[in-house]
Amino acid sequence: MRSRHPAFSRLAETLGLALVMGLAAFVVFGPLANLAIWAFAEQWFYPNQWPTRWGFEFWARVFRPRAGAWESLWNSVSIAIATVGLSMVLSIPAGYALARLTLPARSLIMLVFLLPQAFPSLPIFVNIAAIFYGLGLNGSLFGVVLVHSLPGLVYAVWIATASFAAVDRSMEEAARNLGAGPLRTFRDITLPQAFPGLMAASIFVFLDSIDEFTGTYFVGAPDITTLPILMFNASMGGNYQIASITALILLIPSVGFMLVIERFLKADVLSRIGR
Amino acid sequence: MNIRIALASLLAATTLATSVSAQTLTVITAGDTNMVDYINDYLGPKFEEGHPGVTVRAVGTGPGDGGSQAIYEKIHAQKDKSVWDVDVAVVHQRMAGKMVEEKLLANYRDGVATSKLVTRKTAENALGVNVSGYVMPMFHSQIAIAYNPDVIANPPQSYDELAKWVKENPGKFGYNGITGGMAGVGFVFGWMYAFSGMADEIRNGPWADGAADKWAPALASLRDFNQSVMMTPGNAGTLDAMNRGEIAMGPVWMDMFYTWVADGRLNPNLKLMILSPGMPGQPMYYTVPAKSSQPDLAKEFIAFATSPAVQADGIVRRFNWFPGIDPQNVKSELTDAEWQRLFADVTPETLAERGWSMPQAKYFAAILEAYEKNVAK
Amino acid sequence: MWPGVLLIAPALTAIALLYALPLLRSLITAFVGEDGHPTLGNLAKALEFYGADIVYSILVALGSLALIAFVSIAIAGYLTLGQSRWAVPLLRWIYRWPLFIPFIVAGQTARSFLARNGVLNTLLTDVGLVDAATATSLLDWRGLVLTFAWKQIPFVTLLLAGAMASLDRSTIEAARNLGAGRLRCLIEIVLPQVRPQLLVALVLSLVTIMSVLSVPVMLISGNPTMMTAMMAHRVTFYGDYAVANALGLFSYLLTAVAAWAYLRMSLREKSN
Repeated sequence: MRSRHPAFSRLAETLGLALVMGLAAFVVFGPLANLAIWAFAEQWFYPNQWPTRWGFEFWARVFRPRAGAWESLWNSVSIAIATVGLSMVLSIPAGYALARLTLPARSLIMLVFLLPQAFPSLPIFVNIAAIFYGLGLNGSLFGVVLVHSLPGLVYAVWIATASFAAVDRSMEEAARNLGAGPLRTFRDITLPQAFPGLMAASIFVFLDSIDEFTGTYFVGAPDITTLPILMFNASMGGNYQIASITALILLIPSVGFMLVIERFLKADVLSRIGR
Repeated sequence: MNIRIALASLLAATTLATSVSAQTLTVITAGDTNMVDYINDYLGPKFEEGHPGVTVRAVGTGPGDGGSQAIYEKIHAQKDKSVWDVDVAVVHQRMAGKMVEEKLLANYRDGVATSKLVTRKTAENALGVNVSGYVMPMFHSQIAIAYNPDVIANPPQSYDELAKWVKENPGKFGYNGITGGMAGVGFVFGWMYAFSGMADEIRNGPWADGAADKWAPALASLRDFNQSVMMTPGNAGTLDAMNRGEIAMGPVWMDMFYTWVADGRLNPNLKLMILSPGMPGQPMYYTVPAKSSQPDLAKEFIAFATSPAVQADGIVRRFNWFPGIDPQNVKSELTDAEWQRLFADVTPETLAERGWSMPQAKYFAAILEAYEKNVAK
Repeated sequence: MWPGVLLIAPALTAIALLYALPLLRSLITAFVGEDGHPTLGNLAKALEFYGADIVYSILVALGSLALIAFVSIAIAGYLTLGQSRWAVPLLRWIYRWPLFIPFIVAGQTARSFLARNGVLNTLLTDVGLVDAATATSLLDWRGLVLTFAWKQIPFVTLLLAGAMASLDRSTIEAARNLGAGRLRCLIEIVLPQVRPQLLVALVLSLVTIMSVLSVPVMLISGNPTMMTAMMAHRVTFYGDYAVANALGLFSYLLTAVAAWAYLRMSLREKSN
């Protein structure tokens, strides 16, 4: 076989690679650009290929005082914060116990904390809603926080366990030898070391809660409107502009946290998840 | 420290959930987003102007029977409590009948000043159930076929012609089945009126056990029809598919159609028509739950909403519905041109001839069930 | 032992109340008739009404998993074995964007992006790849497969690339020195070693696909559709929890079969 000129073959390879990368970028960013187009399209009907009028009219409509976007935003954020609070309060002691203390049937308990992720959640949400009806929790913020805490707890327990397992024990022993009590040791030595991992767990729980749709749909709706519910209603009502604008707002925390999460989720914690 | 903040916010969220101001009037409504928009953008602010200190809170439960079902479940769940958290419920006909039968609604109409203006038959009878006194029609709306005259110069005029037309033009007609809102449901009812051979019984009763067995040919032909049409996601989905040029014809609510055109969201060249023998229309009802915490304020709200001025300006002029109260009282508040706009594509005569009612409640449920069993799968 | 039990008790209680109890309720309700007696009627009705939807769900899930596996292996493989100084970091930056984007947002954009006169077809028409008159909507099983894959590929790739990065490089280098191409290296040396992680990621993706309600509701009109949409339909339209739970039972079964197949495979590998 006649070998081609090396410079030529390198150029062909670079061009091919650039083409594939361009395609990948289109697949990832094309649908997102589509949202942006819809968010600013004021008039767009067949047979026009592209919007015939652009502007901020629908943004004003989304954020007009009575539209409920502000209320949904406030609901979403307060539910997410409360969900983080509840999940972390439950999972910090649980993670510590799983990582550091002797427990009967430890692997069985770990399995129990995995189960909610191992089976489809929709029937669970439907039945939580049916149970909550009886308790009067349907349509209350607290009910929605409880529903969001189910997936939240799973992430939080797993990551918290890994974070506590990664804490350097020799420093704790040194502190104890110097006369610090167990609580003080936990507060001053263990917790700060586990903090980045716990922070990562909180971020996961927060994002999951902000994005949660199905559970809120069954337990919160119609009284509690979060951003995903608002977006769904707009979309099903054919208000594509309003749905796209809400979708862009929902992307802000998602993308923001994606850019910072690596700072908190260190490799030594990541490798211990699930052990 | 962090935990304390988290706990505090948890508590804050919980208390927020339980503290609802006594001066809030909660209006819960089924239907598309235009229902919530109507209360949020028009009716609520107007009512608040006349009632300082009152806030109207609109809660939407979604399109079609699913939306009414959600209202029913919400109220039914509180059955044993002394006070319910809904003051005014806006529901479809079928659910109004069911809720009256289960004693979930208050008999309030006599206490409302505008009750004398109510003349529609649907105010007394909702799909075979006597609801006199329990409901006031908010508006009446009609399902019609929207079409693009640039694509179809001479649209089919009857269900018969339509069935032949879709065979020749596959994919040009679209509707939303029965799971995505009432426009599709109503189209199916019209199909049954045309082909079941028992249109009268279905609309006026009486219910006959085993009626569904006679529908096999009509359902089979609908199943066959569905092979040549495009399924759209919801009432709005049909309009959107029209707008994006994906279909050239489909059933829509007349009011939504005109609202979308006015909004710039729909090609203004599109037109409406009603298939013979008839397509259904229906009112939405204002109702007051039996244990509303502020029944008097609710009644004032409904009286305001059914006053000729509001019916003219809000229902007809801005949202393109047919009025819920007697038209004579509304017409006088509008210019002729504004009133005629309701009949721009469909004349009052056609409307009287082809604007039929929905089926009686039992037939209603039986047709939906038969559709799911025989047509959808 | 007691301090540990005490610390973990609240979290376990929460799981019991928020997960075990509803799970139990869903299993029981599926077998109880309107009269309160045990019955198989709900299962029969679920099969009669929604049998086609169950089959459709399985096929869509399998199609999505196949696409996810293929693309994830390709991306993770390139990230591990690729040598380009600019393309590897660029791809690493691009591929993970959909990871944190909510399903409901993915559903909304897919809904307008993949429609017949959506942006995708418009662009393809402009480039000349598609004829406007014959352009078709992708909002059917293809739309579901593409949307699920778009959302889940970053997740599977993340786990897979992590596993590949922690492999012993020496066998890979040795094979490369013996003249093995990168593709062969990926298939014969790298992939067998990360198979457990790939399977776990795929099983988790399957569970996700069978749980998502918003995407099928937004993309699919009429039937057949995913079981999730029909479960919600039974509940929101008829308040019929029994048939909804019977459908739920089928979705549990499906993921249970996948988990069982995975466990059996990993056990067999261990015994070899």
